[in-house]
Amino acid sequence: MESMVEVRGLSKTFDGSTYILKDIDLNVAKNEVVAILGPSGTGKSTLLRCLNYLCEPTAGSVRVGSVTVDAARHTGSQVRLLRRQSAMVFQSYNLFKNKTARENVMEALVTVQKKSKAEAESIALRLLEKVGMLDRKDYYPSKMSGGQQQRVGIARALAVNPNVLLFDEPTSALDPELVGEVLNTIRQLAEEETSTMLLVTHEVRFARNVASRILFMEDGHIAADGTPEQIIDNPGSVSPRLQQFLNFVSK
Amino acid sequence: MKFSWEYFFGTFPLIAEKLPVTLSLTVISAGFSLALGTVMALVNYYRVPVLTQFLKAWSSFIRGTPAVTQMFFFYYGLATVSALVLNMSPLVAVAVVMSLNMSAFVAESVRAALLSVDDGQKEAALSLGMSNFQVITRIVIPQAVRIALPPLFNDIINLFKMSSLAFLVGIRDVMGASKIESAASFRFFECYAIVMLIYWFCTIVLTFLQRRLEKRCSAIYE
Repeated sequence: MESMVEVRGLSKTFDGSTYILKDIDLNVAKNEVVAILGPSGTGKSTLLRCLNYLCEPTAGSVRVGSVTVDAARHTGSQVRLLRRQSAMVFQSYNLFKNKTARENVMEALVTVQKKSKAEAESIALRLLEKVGMLDRKDYYPSKMSGGQQQRVGIARALAVNPNVLLFDEPTSALDPELVGEVLNTIRQLAEEETSTMLLVTHEVRFARNVASRILFMEDGHIAADGTPEQIIDNPGSVSPRLQQFLNFVSK
Repeated sequence: MKFSWEYFFGTFPLIAEKLPVTLSLTVISAGFSLALGTVMALVNYYRVPVLTQFLKAWSSFIRGTPAVTQMFFFYYGLATVSALVLNMSPLVAVAVVMSLNMSAFVAESVRAALLSVDDGQKEAALSLGMSNFQVITRIVIPQAVRIALPPLFNDIINLFKMSSLAFLVGIRDVMGASKIESAASFRFFECYAIVMLIYWFCTIVLTFLQRRLEKRCSAIYE
């Protein structure tokens, strides 16, 4: 199977001694949906953010799609090329506050992909419809609920037609009653889109249903890697820490 | 000596007719200090090495000394060592000092506005492959402008009042005119009451504009 993400010897340290990520190797095949679980502070988000260099790794190489960047010798233009291979959905949505829903989705199409306004607009409207936000296309983020903002965030990420979609705790900042609408949108994408996804989440049941593969992280490394059946249904046979974590989360 | 309404109304136009001098000093200095202050704020925002430290010291110096002292030092002090300053017309010299002085305050207002745009939006833009230049021009600055406008208007009001220092180097602005009129007639009370009212009236107009601007700025993205 074609490999879409390849991480080799990835490490991230603070002050030269505190490890956030320790020597991580990871391969993600095309169209795999990978959920990353684990307790807080184990490096899940950091790993995801190293894939688009929002977080600069201390060592190791990252390949997404056709672009490889090595931490030891990377340039700004390489990093920009790497970033164009993926798109990220953020915990706090991070919509551009000076732009409407439609303009948020159009922005990278116009500035990065140099598409015409008309073409960008038709893509934006199609994607806003897909996430059920077409009727809010002219609303500024300040006039949308968290769930609505996150759905626009998803449309914005889809717009650039990325090889890999990165979800960084997409529902953690939402009110409980709004989590469902966002998870449904992501589930729909996972089912119908031919796209590769990595998602950091605390929604174990959601990960069980949507992901084709699950990573469990602890202390800056991948402690378990397997199918949802292996990891979530039989955690005891994998590791006691995993079982402890899942028991805790499901309560 | 009784307050003379006749003198008051007779002299009012003589002083008010110097308002263009005061206003042009304000407008010219506002333009230069805005440009200079914005550059200084950007240097600080991007933490340009050496320049950032230099501007920090410069800003501390400007904000830590009175404008009148700066003007005397520049116009009389530097004139003894610099032919450029010696040959400078008082009007230009005052505009230079006002611009330099206010740019330090403008830089602070602009810097705070730039910092008010959260990192998350910048990360989102970068993650989509936008360049640093696109992030600052398309995402940060449009939002910073609306944050910066109200404090910048305060800076302009301060600049307007600071222009009264011009009379100290012999410029006939409204302050200079009232000093000259009062020296001739000894009607200090009337003359300075006139000039106070002129400054106050203009500041009220500016404050009114500022209020309206503030309302519009806060409404833009809502």
